[in-house]
Amino acid sequence: MGSLARAYGRPLAAVIAGITLVWILVLILVPLGAMLEQSLWWRDAKGDVSLQIDRLYNEISTLQLDRAGAADPARQAQLDAAMAQKQAEATALEAQEKNPPKTYGLDNFTRMSGLHLYIFVRTILYALMVTGLALIVCYPVAYVVALASGPRKAIILTVALIVPYAINELLRVYAWLMILDYRGVINGVLAWLGFINLDAREWIPFLENPSAVFLAMIYTYVLFMVFPMVNTLETLDRNQIEAARDLGASTLRIHRRVIIPHAKPGIAVGCIMTFMLSAGSYSVPAIMTRGQGGDWFSQLVYRQFYESNNWNMGSAYAVSLLVVCTAFILLMMRLFGVGLRDIAK
Amino acid sequence: MRGKDVRLDQVSIRFGDATAVQPTDLSIHAGEFFSILGPSGCGKTTILRTISGFIEPTAGRVLIGGEDMVGKGPNERPTALIFQNLALFPLMSVAENVAFGLEARGVAKAERLRRAQELLELVALGGYGDKKPADLSGGQRQRVAIARALAVEPSVLLLDEPLSALDLKLRQHMRAELRAIQKRVGITFIYITHDQGEALAMSDRVAVMSRGRLEQVADADTLYADPATPFVATFVGEQNVLRGTVATLSDDDAAIDTPVGRIIGRAKGPLKVGDSALVLVRPERITLGGTDDNQVPARLTARNLEGAAVHLHCAAPAQNFTVTVTNGPEVRALPDELILSFSRRDALVYPEGTLAHG
Amino acid sequence: MSSSTESAGARLVLNIYIGLFVLYLFLPLAVMSAAAFNSFDYPSVTQWRGFTLQWFVALAHDQRLLQGLANSVMVALGVIAVSIPAGLCGALILTRLGQRSGTVLYSVLVSPVLTPGIILGISSLIFWREFGVPGGLFVAVMAQSSFIASYAMLLFLARLQRQDRTLEEAALDLGASHTLVFRRITLPFLAPTCFTAAVVAFLQSFENYNTTVFAIGGEWTLVTEIASRLRFGLSPVINVVGVIFVALTLIAATTYVLLKSRPAR
Repeated sequence: MGSLARAYGRPLAAVIAGITLVWILVLILVPLGAMLEQSLWWRDAKGDVSLQIDRLYNEISTLQLDRAGAADPARQAQLDAAMAQKQAEATALEAQEKNPPKTYGLDNFTRMSGLHLYIFVRTILYALMVTGLALIVCYPVAYVVALASGPRKAIILTVALIVPYAINELLRVYAWLMILDYRGVINGVLAWLGFINLDAREWIPFLENPSAVFLAMIYTYVLFMVFPMVNTLETLDRNQIEAARDLGASTLRIHRRVIIPHAKPGIAVGCIMTFMLSAGSYSVPAIMTRGQGGDWFSQLVYRQFYESNNWNMGSAYAVSLLVVCTAFILLMMRLFGVGLRDIAK
Repeated sequence: MRGKDVRLDQVSIRFGDATAVQPTDLSIHAGEFFSILGPSGCGKTTILRTISGFIEPTAGRVLIGGEDMVGKGPNERPTALIFQNLALFPLMSVAENVAFGLEARGVAKAERLRRAQELLELVALGGYGDKKPADLSGGQRQRVAIARALAVEPSVLLLDEPLSALDLKLRQHMRAELRAIQKRVGITFIYITHDQGEALAMSDRVAVMSRGRLEQVADADTLYADPATPFVATFVGEQNVLRGTVATLSDDDAAIDTPVGRIIGRAKGPLKVGDSALVLVRPERITLGGTDDNQVPARLTARNLEGAAVHLHCAAPAQNFTVTVTNGPEVRALPDELILSFSRRDALVYPEGTLAHG
Repeated sequence: MSSSTESAGARLVLNIYIGLFVLYLFLPLAVMSAAAFNSFDYPSVTQWRGFTLQWFVALAHDQRLLQGLANSVMVALGVIAVSIPAGLCGALILTRLGQRSGTVLYSVLVSPVLTPGIILGISSLIFWREFGVPGGLFVAVMAQSSFIASYAMLLFLARLQRQDRTLEEAALDLGASHTLVFRRITLPFLAPTCFTAAVVAFLQSFENYNTTVFAIGGEWTLVTEIASRLRFGLSPVINVVGVIFVALTLIAATTYVLLKSRPAR
C-alpha cells in the first residue's frame, strides 16, 4: 500500500484502492456471502398454523353463541374475557402466518430430494466426461497448432479455431439444435434417403435423449481446452523435441516425457475451465431440451428461482455447485502442481 | 541556474534486514562535479536515489542548499536525475520530453516549447524536436536526457551511470561533453559510476564506496597517489600486492617481512609489530636495475605491449610482479633476470583489509 | 520451417485429424447460416424451398429482438464503464503489492473467472434484492462486471509487467505531480490495453447468457430473447441473427490475419 502511495501519491492511491475495494465487496464477496446466507435459512410456512387459526375462530364463534345465550352478568364477563384472549392468540398466529420466522440450519442442503441428488451427481459426472473427452480431442489439435506447423499455417489454424470460439455460445448450441431436431438435418437426410417419413412424424427423437445435451456441450466448450494448451505449448523450445528425438526417444516417449510435462499448466487450466463451464452450463441444457427436460443441475437451480420461487433452496443448490467446482479447481491445482498465477495467463 | 551544496548527515539506509548504506557523512560543494565510484552493489545508486527523494533514509538527514529534505518527494526537490536507461518518454516527441518538466510547472505551451528548443540547441539537437526518442542514436538520446533534466533548472544534477550503454568511443566523447556542459551551466553534478576512468577524468572530487561505506573522498590525484585504504588503492589503478608481517615501525616507516624479503614502506594505518600487513606498489613506480630502498630479484616471464607502455610480468620466489615501463629499444633488449627496485615512499603499507579485486 | 518431428505418415494422419476437427467446428455453423436463406418457414437445409431474404426483413421488423439488441448494447456499455476502471485499479495495486499479500488479493480478484456463470448471476440477484433492486439490466451489468473486470485486470497486469517503471520516476523527478504522472505517463502507456479490454468486455458482455439469464429478471437482452424463443420452436429469424454474427466474426478474423501476416518492419 505504501509503495502504491509513493508511486501515485496519496489521493490517487486512495481512489485506486477504493475502487478495487468496491469491486471486491460489491461485486464479489458480499454477493457471494448473501447467497450463502440465503442458503442457510428458510421460513416455516407450515399448514398447521392456518389450522390453529381456523380452530381458534371456531372456538370464538362457539363462545359468541354461548354468550348470546347466557343471562348471568358474571358468566357474560367470563365469556368476554375468554373471547378476547382467543382473538389475541389468533391475531398473533395470523401475523406469523403472513411473515413466518426465519430458521437457520443446513436443511436446504439436506432436504435435496433423491431425484435432484441423482441429477446433481449425474451433472458432475457428465461434466467430468466432457472434460476428459475434450482433453483427448484437443491435445493433438493444440500440438499441431503450437508445435507442428509453420508460422503461417499456425496463424490460419488459430483463426480457424477463434472464429467458432468467438461466435455466441447460444448460436453454437442452436446449430446443434437444428441438426438434431425432429425436422432437423439428420432426420431430414434420413427422410431424403427414404428411411423415415417426416410428414407421418416418424422422426428419431434425438433431443429426448440426454446425450444430445452431452454432444452439444462438447461442441460448445471444446475450445476452452484448446487455447490454454496452445498457449503453454507455444513456449516449448522445439529444440527440446529435436534433442529428445536425437537421443533416440520414440514419439510416444517424447510426448510423455517432454511435451506433456511442459503443457501441464495449460492442461490444468483447460480442464478447470471446461469442467467449470459445463458443470455450470445453463444455456446448453436449456436450449437442447427447450426448457422442458430437467436433466442438468443448473436447470433445477433456475426453476427454484423462477418457478418454485424458493430462493433459499435455489441458493443451497448454487452453493453446492460452487463447492464442487472449487474442489475440482483445488484438486487440479494440486494434481498438476500449478498456482493460481499460472492459471490466469 | 546556480548550484547548491548537498550534505548527508549520518544517513543510513536499510532494506528490511539488509544494510545498503552504513551511517554516512558527506559534503558536496555547490557547483562541483562530484563522482561516487564503486563496484556494483556498493550502495552508490541507493545514495543517489536518496538524494533525489525516491528513498527515505532509515536514519539521518539529507540537506540541499542547507535545507532539510525530509518529507519532500522527488518532485519537490531542486534535483534532476538522469537515469541509467535515460527513461525518455517513448510516446512523446523529443521536444515534449524536454518540455515535460516545464509542463509540470504549468508553463504555457508556446513558452515551454521555445525553452525546449533552446536547450536542444545547447546540446546540438536543434533540428530533432519533432522526432520520437526511438528514432535517435544512443548519443543523441543521451543529450536529450541531459536537456530534459536541465530544462527544470535544477540546482543539482544527478547522473546514474548514464554512459554505460554507449560504446567506448562515444563514451569518451560524452565525458568531455558532460564536463563542458557542467562548466557552462555551473550547477552541482553528482555522478555515479563503476568506471574509474570516467570518475577520474571528469570530477573535481571523487568518493570511493565499498559495501555501503565511503572509503575515501578526495580529488583524483590524491586518490591515486595517496589512497586511504587498500580498497581504494586497488580499485583505482593497478597495484602489486604483497602480504607479510610487520617487523619494525619507526615514524612513518614500516618494515614488513614478505616472501621476497624485508620491504620498507610508508605506514598508512594503525600498525603494530607482528600484525599481518599488505604492501602495495604501483607497477609504474617500479624501476629496473635501480638502487632504490627496496630491491627484489625477479625473472621476466612475459611482455605485454600496450603502445606507449609495456607491462612486464615478472616472477620472484612466491610472488608475481607487474612492472609498467615506457616503450623503447631498451625494453626489447631486457635480460631475463632483473632487479626490481622501488622507493619506500612508493610502497604503501596497510593493515590487512579488503581489496577491490578479491 | 515445419519441424520434422513426425514421419510423413504421422503428419498425414495429424493433418486429416485437424481437417476433420475444423470441419466439425464449422459445419454446424454453415448449416445454421445456410438455413437463413431458405424460404421454408422452419430452419432447414434439407427441405430447400428456394433462396430468400425474407427472414432478414422479418428480423428488421422484430421489435422485441431489436429492443433486445439495444438492451445488450446498453448492458455492454455499462459493463465497460464498471469493469475497465475496476480491472485497471486492481492491476495497479497488484503490481505494487508484495508477494504474499499480493497472492491473496490476486486469488480474490481472479476467482470470478473460475466461478460458474450462473453462480455470479444468482449471487448478484440476491445481493441487489436486499437493496430493493429487482433483476434487470442494472443487476445484469453488475453480475457480468464481476468477472469481466477480472479479465480486464489480467490484460492490464500483462501490460504493466512490461512497463518501464523508471519512466514514472523520471516524470516525478522532473517535478510532475502524481496526477500528472498518471495522466501523461501511466495512462498513455495503458491506453492500447484500455481499448483492447473494452472490446473484450463488450464482446464478453454481449454474448453472455449463463450469468445474464439469472440476473435479467423480467427484462431481456438479445441473447436471452433468442434463448427464450427457442422454447417455442425454431425460426429462421434466429438463423439470420446467427448469419450476422458469423459474418461479423469472419470479417474481424480476416482483418486480423491480414494485419498479422503483413511483413514486419
